[in-house]
Amino acid sequence: MKTEDLIAALSADTTSQPTMGARLLRTMPVAVLVALVAVVALWKVRPDLAAALASPALIKTAMPAVLALAALWLARGLSRPESRARAQWAVVLVLLAGCAVALVQGLMLGGMSGLMTALDTPNLLTCFLSIPVLSALPLAAVLWSMNSGAPSNPRLAGAAAGLLAGAAGTAVYSLHCPEDALLFFAPAYGMNVLIMVGAGTLLGPRWLRW
Amino acid sequence: MTLSAEASWEDLMRAANRGEQQPYVQLLREITPVVRGIVRARGSALGNEGCEDVVQDVLLTIHLKRQSWREDAPLRPWLYAVTRHKVVDAFRARGQRIDLPVDDFIEVLAAPADPDPFETQDMDRVIDRLDPRAAQIVRAIGVDGETAADTGARLGMSEGAVRVALHRALKSLAQLRERMIE
Repeated sequence: MKTEDLIAALSADTTSQPTMGARLLRTMPVAVLVALVAVVALWKVRPDLAAALASPALIKTAMPAVLALAALWLARGLSRPESRARAQWAVVLVLLAGCAVALVQGLMLGGMSGLMTALDTPNLLTCFLSIPVLSALPLAAVLWSMNSGAPSNPRLAGAAAGLLAGAAGTAVYSLHCPEDALLFFAPAYGMNVLIMVGAGTLLGPRWLRW
Repeated sequence: MTLSAEASWEDLMRAANRGEQQPYVQLLREITPVVRGIVRARGSALGNEGCEDVVQDVLLTIHLKRQSWREDAPLRPWLYAVTRHKVVDAFRARGQRIDLPVDDFIEVLAAPADPDPFETQDMDRVIDRLDPRAAQIVRAIGVDGETAADTGARLGMSEGAVRVALHRALKSLAQLRERMIE
């Protein structure tokens, strides 16, 4: 086939593909809503939710939510082939560094014994079983949306998708989670988000190839 | 809307994204020598015909990924990034490692405008692997230069159905070529 013939075939195809943004708008609210409904209906929100959200424990919900928004921005940036998404990376890394600093500070105050006490609760298992489940649908939504983009590095783009899904799932789960000790939620939530980043990193090269 | 011969690539692509065929043809014709120049500069070992296979790969990808270009951004950085991605892929598939710094592309000159002399083989091979009707549609519109309406009348399909089938066929072509690479 001559290249001129291919051009003729390509130009006759005027069907437009949805953009990544359009797909995200269509799927992400649904995915998050399903997770929210699941937490309300199956996990049950914590009884003192209103009081918790008015206390410093708000950070449990607010931080993952903000991180999810930053990761959303990063994922959009990374799905454009010419973009290195420097500003997006900067914001995400500052947020992650903030989380790390908070964890280290908590460890310095509470020590290893404080960490062990905080983590010694059946809620730890619930947390590790719940966040990946709540993040799975958002991850599928993000990866499917990114598929109409063109990430020059599918692995990295998959990691950003995992960060977005993990942070969103964590924010939703925090509405149920009764543990307000920094030495519980910082390491437990952090690990779960990392698990989702890992899942995205594995899926990215498969799902985001082009 | 008619666009002049000097219309910028951005204008042409914006028109293409609104479904205008003529500006899109013009854009694809103008970028082809540039893509060919990049591919040949990097892949002289592939021979002219092998290079043209890669050029066609790049054009197909540009077509399917054109919505990932943001309409307020310049087109060239996007175009070079897409080209780079597919060229690296193509050479990897053929067992050659190449290193393609993005900035290099700025200096690449368009290949001399010999009027597309090569009949490539790869694209025909993957078209043969489409289902027969899809292959028929791609060839009718591409090689025989039929319009979607003509093809539809001949095959007893509506013009819209032909366009949908063509779109699906092009997406399958890209997937089949990906699989050839693995």
